[in-house]
Amino acid sequence: MVYSLLQERGLGDYYLLREKGRMLRKNGPAPAPSLSSDMQSHLDDPEFLELYATAEGQVRSMQFYLEGVHCTACVWLAEKTAEWVEGVISIRLDLGHSLATVKIGPNGSFSRVAREFARLGYRPHPVRQDEAWVRQARENRSALIRMAVSAAGAGNIMLLAVAVYAGAEGSFARHFEWISFALCLPVATYGAWPFYRSAWIALRSRQLSIDIPIALGMIVGFGASIVSLFFRSKHVYFDTVSALIFLLLASRYLLRKTQQEAMHASRLIHFLTPSLVRKKIQEGESVVYQEVKAEQIRSGDEVLVLAGECIPVDGIVRDGNSSLNIALMTGESRHERVGAGSLVFAGTMNHQAPIKIEATAEVSATRLARILSSVEEQISRKAPIVAFTDSIAKKFVLVSLGLVGVAFLIGWSVSPDEAVSRALAMAIVACPCAFAFATPLAMSVAMGRSAKNGVLIKGADVLEKLAHVDQVVLDKTGTLTAGEFEVQSWIHDSDAPEAARAVYALESRSMHPIAKAMVVYLRAIVTDEQSVEIGDFEEKIGRGVSGSLFGHRYEIRSWGESSGSSIEGSTIAVIRDGKIVARAVLGDRLRDDAVQAVDRLRAMGLRIGILSGDGRSAVQRVARQLGVLPRDAISGASPEAKSALVKPLPRALMVGDGANDAIALASAYVSVAVHGGLEISMRSADVYHCVPGILPVAQLIELARETMKVIHRNFAFSLVYNAIGTWAALTGRVDPLFAAVLMPASALTVFFSSIAGTRRLRHAFETEERR
Amino acid sequence: MSTIYLMLPIALLLGGGFVAAFIRAASQGQYDDLETPAHRMLLEDEKMSISTTQRGQK
Repeated sequence: MVYSLLQERGLGDYYLLREKGRMLRKNGPAPAPSLSSDMQSHLDDPEFLELYATAEGQVRSMQFYLEGVHCTACVWLAEKTAEWVEGVISIRLDLGHSLATVKIGPNGSFSRVAREFARLGYRPHPVRQDEAWVRQARENRSALIRMAVSAAGAGNIMLLAVAVYAGAEGSFARHFEWISFALCLPVATYGAWPFYRSAWIALRSRQLSIDIPIALGMIVGFGASIVSLFFRSKHVYFDTVSALIFLLLASRYLLRKTQQEAMHASRLIHFLTPSLVRKKIQEGESVVYQEVKAEQIRSGDEVLVLAGECIPVDGIVRDGNSSLNIALMTGESRHERVGAGSLVFAGTMNHQAPIKIEATAEVSATRLARILSSVEEQISRKAPIVAFTDSIAKKFVLVSLGLVGVAFLIGWSVSPDEAVSRALAMAIVACPCAFAFATPLAMSVAMGRSAKNGVLIKGADVLEKLAHVDQVVLDKTGTLTAGEFEVQSWIHDSDAPEAARAVYALESRSMHPIAKAMVVYLRAIVTDEQSVEIGDFEEKIGRGVSGSLFGHRYEIRSWGESSGSSIEGSTIAVIRDGKIVARAVLGDRLRDDAVQAVDRLRAMGLRIGILSGDGRSAVQRVARQLGVLPRDAISGASPEAKSALVKPLPRALMVGDGANDAIALASAYVSVAVHGGLEISMRSADVYHCVPGILPVAQLIELARETMKVIHRNFAFSLVYNAIGTWAALTGRVDPLFAAVLMPASALTVFFSSIAGTRRLRHAFETEERR
Repeated sequence: MSTIYLMLPIALLLGGGFVAAFIRAASQGQYDDLETPAHRMLLEDEKMSISTTQRGQK
């Protein structure tokens, strides 16, 4: 569909560009657009615009988070959209954040743009313009300007200082010192302002922060230099102070940027729009279905659910026949037929045809909502290791302030000048900056790295938990298997050679999942795809298809004891004029990467278990294929039973379908959703995969483990540095300028250590591509 | 050596000019997105004629 759209718009270049883009950035494939993404008309709702759009005269703009943009071709395609959608002034894409800013004129509409994005395969999520977001952008700019002013000041002061160190004397030295003072003034006031402010806030609330010794060092250094300047003393520290300020600002800026990049992905959950449903509204004679927020549905309202959509509320079917995937309720990969009068539950998936449902409960009262509301508050948890280092860093600050006093006293015994010099060196060197940044930085980098690979991690604590995991519980349907029918065998009688062609022709007309699987399988057998005349074609929901062709009456229907509703081991019979001439056995297809992923997880020393609602034979077959012990493969478990089984496991990672296994995912120690919608997955699981397959689970655990290693290495770096620096400052072996250069150097060491990670961390997401 | 009293102010003025230019660029948001422009420069600037004519036919 996307291809034809591209051709129609004359954008065939996209494919050429995409190849180029692939070479620039290796990345996973874009996720397939969902069927429900056509629902965009709410974007033009004035109430919605009020919250999400900003207006400047006639021009309105809105930001969209686009799922799946990852390369040059995406930039081109997304921005070119402006040229063929009416009323759009411009579209700018920020690739790093996957944010598209859309500007439209008076005759444009955001829903048209959003629909176009969705058709291109980038699922759009409108982003709310919240205060924090605007403030962050403003602060980034001002941090950059402070850094530039400090850099210019520090650089020029350094040039003048070198002349003095080299032996400039008399009036030259005097003038240079005064110029240094003039250059240092904006640096020490405007540039260092954030440190003063943060230290003051900490002091006022009687808290300890690492900015206190830093601000103290700056004030002491700058103040002592001014005093020296007026009293013609030797010791002027303008070079030290300005270099310190610039280097600290630079390292803070790098930290900020890295953390913001990583935070972005996890912030996404707050941006997500409420899910929408089509509610029936009577307008005089005509009946329209209007999109409303799911929360507005009341008992008795009628809603329309299209094929491929999730049922939003518990209710009774009023009109339409379809089959539902009720795995959420039963845990089994079964398709249940529904018609007028059937009871349906929220969270089940409508597979075949549109149905109309009368709601019997509000959305918040459904079983699914009750499950999810209990896990909402987990989002902003702090990782234990972060809390631990926070408290250590505070003690460090206290110790370093004490050490500054000690250094001053020791220096005083030599001379007052020496006392200031040593205290200054100590204040600079003893600050536990690197220690305080070691953990959050490494975690942010890991989260950013995984987000770029299509794996969204909800919080820093998740990474730490993942590193401690010792067993993995995998759901079968939709996780290990693709959740799709696959023809496992096909036998036809020798006197019916045309059966394959007949079945192919008949099943091509059906949209049922079994029919699709049959078509895929038979395409290899049926070589000539000429169209066949079919007489009185008939499709009965849940019974099969029939039609007249090749002079015979053909009927294709489910056969045998399993009555065709379960994916596993369904047998399909082909009946020609009342006699069976062919049979096909269907099963659930194992994912391509399942065996490899399970092998890798096992190689990492993890115990593997399978948990499924399906029948014993099907689960054991998959377990055999994956080499999982029969006793570790549990079958016939309902969602509640799965949850009960997973909950007591102390360090278990649950991997499942975000929609169907929501309950089990929410109750597990840590969980990964590999499938299902973004919204529901982010609510029930700790990690969500935008990319298909389960190999990323193994990569994720590796990433978490390596990240913990990096954190420990960062600790070692910063502690060794602080110990040596403190000793040297106490004994007067470092002068303040040297300390000012060393101190940000330790923070930078930690920064590069975190960025570089370990060799295995760097290749965590790459190795499989190369194989 | 007295030339330094001429050179130094000139050097500082030049430096100040560049700082001012940077501040202006940063406040306009030129450094907000550092990734996309690198990709965008690979793209063609010209408008697509095909798509506009197609739109006219509809």
